[in-house]
Amino acid sequence: MLQLLKTLRLRQPARFASALSNTAAATLPGTEATPPAIVGEPDKLYSKLEIELRGIDPAVLKSYTWFATTAAEHLGIELGKCWSPRKAHHERMTLLKSVHIYKKHRVQYEIRTHFRYMNFHKLTGSTLDTFLEYIERNLPEGVALQASKTELQQIPEHLRQPPEQV
Amino acid sequence: MAANLARLLECNIRCNNAAAVQSGWRLFSNQRQQQTEVEDDEEFRVLNLRTIKQQARRREIKKNAVQPPRTSRMPVDQDWTAVWSGPRSFHPASVPLPLRQGYTERGAAAPSKYANAELMKIPNFLHLTPPAIRQQCEAIKKFCTPWPKGLETEAKWKRPFPIEVITTDYCHSLPTIRHPEARRVTITLKLSDLKFDAHAKDKFLRLVGERYNQETGVLTFSADRCPMRKQNYDYAMYLLTACYHESFVTEPWEATKSEADMEVYQFERNQAKRSAEGILNWNATGEQKDAPSANYAKSVEALINEGENEYNIAKYKEEVLKMLKIAI
Repeated sequence: MLQLLKTLRLRQPARFASALSNTAAATLPGTEATPPAIVGEPDKLYSKLEIELRGIDPAVLKSYTWFATTAAEHLGIELGKCWSPRKAHHERMTLLKSVHIYKKHRVQYEIRTHFRYMNFHKLTGSTLDTFLEYIERNLPEGVALQASKTELQQIPEHLRQPPEQV
Repeated sequence: MAANLARLLECNIRCNNAAAVQSGWRLFSNQRQQQTEVEDDEEFRVLNLRTIKQQARRREIKKNAVQPPRTSRMPVDQDWTAVWSGPRSFHPASVPLPLRQGYTERGAAAPSKYANAELMKIPNFLHLTPPAIRQQCEAIKKFCTPWPKGLETEAKWKRPFPIEVITTDYCHSLPTIRHPEARRVTITLKLSDLKFDAHAKDKFLRLVGERYNQETGVLTFSADRCPMRKQNYDYAMYLLTACYHESFVTEPWEATKSEADMEVYQFERNQAKRSAEGILNWNATGEQKDAPSANYAKSVEALINEGENEYNIAKYKEEVLKMLKIAI
């Protein structure tokens, strides 16, 4: 074990040095001749972005929806259906008013959750990341956001043709 | 007289010593230091019985005069995004709006914006005014890319991109930023996007089971058993791949599929074919045998697979009459 550690310690600086020398060798002669080719993965495609908002204050949700749709308009994102259910979701708890007895006297607490939905269509990966980060950063307090993304993909190579050898 | 003099001297020395202590002079030296000056005209000392703490004068608290609200100094054409640049709770002196909010008795006006907790409780959008949104969107627009041409409608993008991967992100105010549902990955595609032969299709549908929707023809693979989203995606793709490739394998025991195991009626392997052949080849001695026509086979299959309805029965009757060469 100790030996292994020692060898590791010995090796690492050497590796760093080699890496450094490699980069130096690569950069020095080719500063003017070869600009680095931009090789990145192709952009993803999202056919739909569905956003669900939950909050206790419908007015805040409404304002936030207005903000998000306006931002989408400025960014040139196609806007789909935006809607909200008419009634809030009520979660009620009925407890004894007293600590111990008096069963006829109860107290009721409730949590109201309002929902709001927004749909955006036809976004590229970079657009979606930008837009989603922008509206998530401006999410007001007490509002939860759920973004479900539908990504489009090609059929992978191994599923295009029936397998020849099975 | 002498006693009086001695007391006065003593008093003088003591006073000098006290002065020396305060200013850090030498106390126990033989030679007297040079006195700068003996204060003859000493102030008349008042006997003060109170402690020093009580003697201390009360500090006068300097109160700033209340500044007038900032709104009174705001020009009409100011840049509001500079005034309210980020999310912040409501401040009445910075908002030049005559806001009122809150509950009062019937008929009375709602409380004004000053010292109004109702306005401070609700999150405001004063930093997201229309000009602010426009400015910020213009700034981030350089990171966006347009939707590629040629994929405008769903029908157009369905052909090159048949697989849909549905994932969900959550943004909420909980102590943790993780959400157990965020790892769920759903893959959907149409069965018609995959290429099959008859046996493979049958086996594939048996393998995927519930994941195939008969009515819409959509396959759905959903995975949430792994802790990470990437792992779940890989697992769902693995399931699809494994089912697809496994469906092309023919096991030896698959030949033992009996008539009771068939999911659809097939004319070829049933008694109806044998009966029809028997009737057609009645008393035939030659080598060549007549086979029932394809239309007849189709009508029998339709009759049994789709059920007996008027059209199928009429079709079957027509085919039977044609096969038996009975003219009506």
